[in-house]
Amino acid sequence: MIAIVDYDMGNLRSVEKAFERVGADAVVTRDLRMIDGASHVVLPGVGAFKACMDNLERYGLVDTIIRNIESGKPFLGICLGLQLLFEESTEDGTHKGLGLIKGRVVRFPSNLKEGEEELKVPHMGWNDIKRKKDSPLLRGVPDGSFFYFVHSYYAAPEDSSVILTTTEYGMEFTSSIAKDNILACQFHPEKSQTIGLQVLGNFKDMR
Amino acid sequence: MIVVPAIDIKGGRCVRLRQGRMDDETVYSEDPVGVAKRWEAAGARLIHIVDLDAAVTGRPVNYDTIAAIASSTDVPVQVGGGIRDASTATRYLDLGGVKRIIIGTAAFEDERFVKELAGCYPGRVAVGIDAKDGRVAIKGWVEVTGMDAVELALRLEDSGAACIIYTDISKDGMLAGPNVEATRRLVDSVSIPVVASGGVSSIKDVEELRKIGAEGVIIGKALYSGTIELEQAIEAARG
Repeated sequence: MIAIVDYDMGNLRSVEKAFERVGADAVVTRDLRMIDGASHVVLPGVGAFKACMDNLERYGLVDTIIRNIESGKPFLGICLGLQLLFEESTEDGTHKGLGLIKGRVVRFPSNLKEGEEELKVPHMGWNDIKRKKDSPLLRGVPDGSFFYFVHSYYAAPEDSSVILTTTEYGMEFTSSIAKDNILACQFHPEKSQTIGLQVLGNFKDMR
Repeated sequence: MIVVPAIDIKGGRCVRLRQGRMDDETVYSEDPVGVAKRWEAAGARLIHIVDLDAAVTGRPVNYDTIAAIASSTDVPVQVGGGIRDASTATRYLDLGGVKRIIIGTAAFEDERFVKELAGCYPGRVAVGIDAKDGRVAIKGWVEVTGMDAVELALRLEDSGAACIIYTDISKDGMLAGPNVEATRRLVDSVSIPVVASGGVSSIKDVEELRKIGAEGVIIGKALYSGTIELEQAIEAARG
């Protein structure tokens, strides 16, 4: 059973339904026992970093998430769910994250350009990924696959070996990471149609 | 969630219709370029442009006006209305300032058209699904088909469409609120972003649509009648 952590940040039905479409038994929950009993944990997230951390704390989910990750079960962070894994974010002040991966979350610079074209922040729209290493999460997902992004901040890992894919947006940034059982993507697989569903299906099949 | 002001063009002017009825029009400006600049100054990050004449005739009657808007502002535009062949589609896609085009009738009639265009212009071809009582309407909303809007959306999401722009026709231009329930149903059913359109008339509407997971909201009449201030809507959409 895949537990999709519900901490009041965004409509999780899209994520739940997307998992259903790939044949997963997925449940949106904030019940600590359900999360403990799940075979896979998904941490989605939309909105501001601090608000996400505040809500995780309010619902007593921080320890449960860390514990479940440390138990080795497959874990997938989506969008803010990737950023929260890091040590801190500079969004609206400096705020601590879960600290499971070394590095910080920072804002895209304001002078991004692609050739002559000025690129606006947030990075909102479809963009492609370049694989830096292999992972079962990317089975059937070739270089150049397009995913849907919407974010103003990105994670900068200290250890580049955790970087799974990068994406270009006036600069090269980390678009997904993989470290043991911890997987996370800055893009939204549940909004990236077929290739996104492929990623979710791959996650479901991981042990 | 992004707030997208709409500029509908009929006969080269910026107009608003009620429920898409061509005979129920209010002209808001003879200067659509000026209108675009006004939205740019108010903080718009994307402007939605519809060629109403083309939606009915299938020919890009207002191309020059739309090209003028696209080139006069730094804000990218998305263009829809009567884009039914590759030549018109690429004419718009190759215009500087056009972020994406919206295919409506042609998407209903031929998915392969969307697929081919989206393949050549990844992320830049959106599909417009306009519904009357949940049934898809095409050709400038003149013809109501028998197809359920969600069913069409599910068919089209694998075509490479960048997003679905969903309009509830009965709410459009009526300042009575959007169809939140139908939008939510669509958002939950598909695996691509959904932009809501039609009827948004209050900040509360914006907040509700944000909560159900819409990626964007298009606002037309309410901005022109002064019912909503674009700056406030943008703020509310940020959450």
